[in-house]
Amino acid sequence: MVLLMVAASSALGLLGPYMIGMAIDDYIVEGKSNGLFTLLAGLTAVYLLHSLALWLQNFWMIGIAQSTIYRMRSLLFQHFHSLPIHFFDKRQHGELMSRVTNDIENVSTTLNSSIIQIISSVLTLIGTIAVMLWLSPLLTLVTLTIVPLMFFGMKWITGRTGRLYKEQQLNLGELNGYIEETISGQRIIKTFSQEHRVVGEFLQKSERLKQAGYWAQTYAGFIPKLMTVLNNLSFAIVAAVGGILALNGSISIGIIVVFTEYSRQFTRPLNDLSNQFNTLLSAVAGANRVFAILDEEEESSDEKGAKSVSLLKGEVEFKKVTFSYGQETDVVSGLNFRVAPGETVALVGPTGAGKTTIINLLSRFYEPDDGTILMDGYELSRIKRNSLRKQMAFVLQDSYLFQGTIRENIRYGRLDADNEEVEEAAKLANADSFIMRLPQGYDTLLDQEGSGISQGQRQLLSIARAILTDPSILILDEATSSIDTITELKIQEALQRLMKGRTSFIIAHRLNTIQQADQILVIEEGKIIEKGSHKELLNQKGFYSELFNSQLKGNANSFVPSPEGS
Amino acid sequence: MKTIFTFLKPYKLPMAAALSLMLIELAVELAQPLLMAKIIDDGIMERDMHVIIIWGAVMMAASILAFAAGITNSFLAAHSSQNFGFDIRKHLFEKVQSFSFANFNTFSNASLITRMTNDVNQLQNTLFMSLRIAIRAPLLVIGGIVMAFLVNVKLALIFAIIVPPLIIFLVWAMKKAAGLFGNVQKRLDKVNGVMRENLTGMRLIKAFARGEHEENRFEESNQNLMAGTVKALRLTETTIPILLFVMNLGVIVVLWYGAAEINTGGIQVGELVAIVNYAARITTAFSMFSFIIMVFSRAGASARRISEVFEEDVDLKDSGDMISNKGMNGQIEFRSVSFHYPESTIPVLKDISFKVNSGQTVALMGATGSGKTSLFQLIPRLYDVTAGEVLVDGQDVRDIPLETLRMQLGYVPQEALLFTGSVKSNIVWGKENATDEDVKTAAENAQIHETIEKLPEKYHTLLGQRGVNLSGGQKQRLSIARALVRRPKILLLDDSTSALDLKTERKLLAALKGYTCTTFIITQKISTAMKTDKILLIDDGSLLAEGSPQELMKNSDLYRDIYQSQFGKESAN
Repeated sequence: MVLLMVAASSALGLLGPYMIGMAIDDYIVEGKSNGLFTLLAGLTAVYLLHSLALWLQNFWMIGIAQSTIYRMRSLLFQHFHSLPIHFFDKRQHGELMSRVTNDIENVSTTLNSSIIQIISSVLTLIGTIAVMLWLSPLLTLVTLTIVPLMFFGMKWITGRTGRLYKEQQLNLGELNGYIEETISGQRIIKTFSQEHRVVGEFLQKSERLKQAGYWAQTYAGFIPKLMTVLNNLSFAIVAAVGGILALNGSISIGIIVVFTEYSRQFTRPLNDLSNQFNTLLSAVAGANRVFAILDEEEESSDEKGAKSVSLLKGEVEFKKVTFSYGQETDVVSGLNFRVAPGETVALVGPTGAGKTTIINLLSRFYEPDDGTILMDGYELSRIKRNSLRKQMAFVLQDSYLFQGTIRENIRYGRLDADNEEVEEAAKLANADSFIMRLPQGYDTLLDQEGSGISQGQRQLLSIARAILTDPSILILDEATSSIDTITELKIQEALQRLMKGRTSFIIAHRLNTIQQADQILVIEEGKIIEKGSHKELLNQKGFYSELFNSQLKGNANSFVPSPEGS
Repeated sequence: MKTIFTFLKPYKLPMAAALSLMLIELAVELAQPLLMAKIIDDGIMERDMHVIIIWGAVMMAASILAFAAGITNSFLAAHSSQNFGFDIRKHLFEKVQSFSFANFNTFSNASLITRMTNDVNQLQNTLFMSLRIAIRAPLLVIGGIVMAFLVNVKLALIFAIIVPPLIIFLVWAMKKAAGLFGNVQKRLDKVNGVMRENLTGMRLIKAFARGEHEENRFEESNQNLMAGTVKALRLTETTIPILLFVMNLGVIVVLWYGAAEINTGGIQVGELVAIVNYAARITTAFSMFSFIIMVFSRAGASARRISEVFEEDVDLKDSGDMISNKGMNGQIEFRSVSFHYPESTIPVLKDISFKVNSGQTVALMGATGSGKTSLFQLIPRLYDVTAGEVLVDGQDVRDIPLETLRMQLGYVPQEALLFTGSVKSNIVWGKENATDEDVKTAAENAQIHETIEKLPEKYHTLLGQRGVNLSGGQKQRLSIARALVRRPKILLLDDSTSALDLKTERKLLAALKGYTCTTFIITQKISTAMKTDKILLIDDGSLLAEGSPQELMKNSDLYRDIYQSQFGKESAN
């Protein structure tokens, strides 16, 4: 339908000037007036239809283009949700964001205008040349002499602009990156008093951009000028040569008028084509980047016959579990342990020992390379991922808050919870008191970065969120590391209550928070080196007891600074 | 807005030249149909070959002249706009660098970045375009009508009648479209907002199995966006066909009327052709109007956003007579300091007084949100106090030049922030002229040297933006090394050891003893606090207790509570 309209509008666009030529030749120059009215009425109809066809083609194309874009966005978004977490771990959010916004925008503008323009340009070009040849082959040939000129001119210019644009984009990207970094790093720049240096580096980059931009813009500026001069030249050629031919009587004045119109009409499509070509290329590049994401492998779908679990007891067993993040060295290897339902397990060990990895495996963010994980006796891979995660609640190291009210953020733990339940959860997490002190209480709006409330308060909110979820399995990954000990003391009680009857995994640096755990796993370099209760481990006099005693001993000697700190 | 125009001043000359060249092009374009009429009326109708050749040559010469003018215009326009953009960027960046933290709170980071990148580009491109086509299109419409009048008053009258209503119609449509596009922009922001949230919070969303909920949320905003875009685009795309039709109707009337006039001899064929031609040119110029109006309204918005940054008052400035003594001891005193953030009235710090001797190590303890970080920020003068004084070596910080003050400081923020570049460049960032030996020492003391040695390129390993390939603890230690390499007189550690395990932290604290500097540590860990000379216990913005660890043990209930919470009851006795 759209194509039909494009063809119609192109043809009608050609017919208009031709009829004007006819009017001039047959009636005006001849001085006849009967029949002119009919011709002009016909011309009116042609123009009306032309506008109508143009309007319809745009109307439909906009609908088609926008629903395509809409589908692309939706698809991309859904795809993001089915991608495995390691996809996000290895990419920067900013870069993904730019694909979603800029690249789709590029495709959008192209679909809106470029495709129609390209088709109609080609049709108009062919039509114009055909009609011109039919009217006067000689004048056509003369008019077409400017085409090679245009061709070489364009080639010369675009050969340069392509390279220059690339250089400009490169410099622009670098400059923008630098701006972004210096803005988000203001605190450091200020306290280190490095403003002068930063301004200096900025000016260097800005200067480079200016140079690249100057040449890119200058050369790009040649294109319309070239088009205009060729337009004017062909106009002049048609006028002069046409005039001479008219003297011979081989063509009429009307044909000259038609030709002047047509010569404008065929340089315009050529101009459009060259312009649209660039947009088209960038859109294709954009589409490619979008499709690259869509082609990313999805999180391995649940196995056939995977079960949906509704209520887990929370028995967990790791059997010889080995895993690496696609690198050569294993992050964890040969892990064996068993957790009875309702037990609290603490994971202890130095930074980078693999504690968080164990949590990632348990929640199936990653699949083990070797070995099996059993949940209530079932292989983890045979339980539907979402049904598994619905039984778990997480309080992670960096608590993430969404844009929205505090109430909405807590409710994220269980979407059907009513206001009372939300506030109850907040009270249990000891978040209620600070929330009530905020101007709008539970309806206080948190902005993008969740600023306005402190790290610790954010942590309290995510604990409230977990409490609301009422999970079978609770995971606290350094959940209280940014909460002060006084507050921690207060929520410890709430956490104890929360952990009761649930299998809980705790990662903590502060050993005091985990003394109550039923089982402590000491992890070093991806292996469990000690296992047992607080008392048992102290008696073993191994890594744990050394760590623990170093804390206590540190207290005893605390006023005598020692070189090794132990 | 005025500020933006002052940036044009240095380029008055090239801009004027570019505009004059543009006028030459315009004149040539407007002369073309007139010359054409001459060829038809004096040449073809009079059967005079000589006239045709002469005027044909004149037309070609004029075209070449216009081309030369156009090419020169390109150089001048690019020169003016690129320099204009460069100047704005430079002043913007310098302005932003002089911002205090209070200023930073006025603008979000994202909006500042857009202002410095997209908005400047927008202005730069608009200037380039203005010097070339933006002014030319309206002039072409006016010029076209004027020329038509010169050719034949009666026929031109038709355009004089239809063009003004068309202009009014266009302006009306554009105004309406501007509103619709503003709406589209809002909806687009919403869609992008949901997308950004999902990308950053993906782990949590997956952990809570909330994919479906998020997809519904996205679907809704995406659908709104589509509906809004379709509406706005359809309106703008309706104007062009209407415009075309009305102008073409004008041509038909010209032909009809012209035919009658030729019969009575009141007009010549060439003149008629010329007027038809002017009509075509006016139509082309018209169809650019919507584009030009859009560009200008966008540029206006950009200019306003940039002006806002320029007009922001910088509230932290060095006053005239300052004492810049280079050597500092690092003695710090707070005298009844109160503080609240500029945009709020809630007091964050209330009447805090204490004194720290040079070389001492001080721990700041207190509950979340009690004002520890706020207190920290007053020392490097990121904010000014609302009441009281902060003194360094007995000197009010407001009387010390900012640079002198801050050059003596080493600051490690809570969230380790690294810059794009190598490990080494990140450490040297603290002190440009640091030697390799300095860097290594700082890294060793920050307990990061061994980790660096294990990296593929060691000290030359590149870090992505914000150091993506390092763990949280490694980033923290690297930013500690960056502070240590300056050998600061005052070291501020804002809970900078939270991601370190106990052993590493212990070693780090021991290594810090080798530096002769006053050290402030914000910490939650009592074991860390016990290693210090003095503990400041902050509660709800007030200084609750102050003293050596032993003194606090004796005198402060709160401190004993914290102690017991971390070590159990037995060890407290």
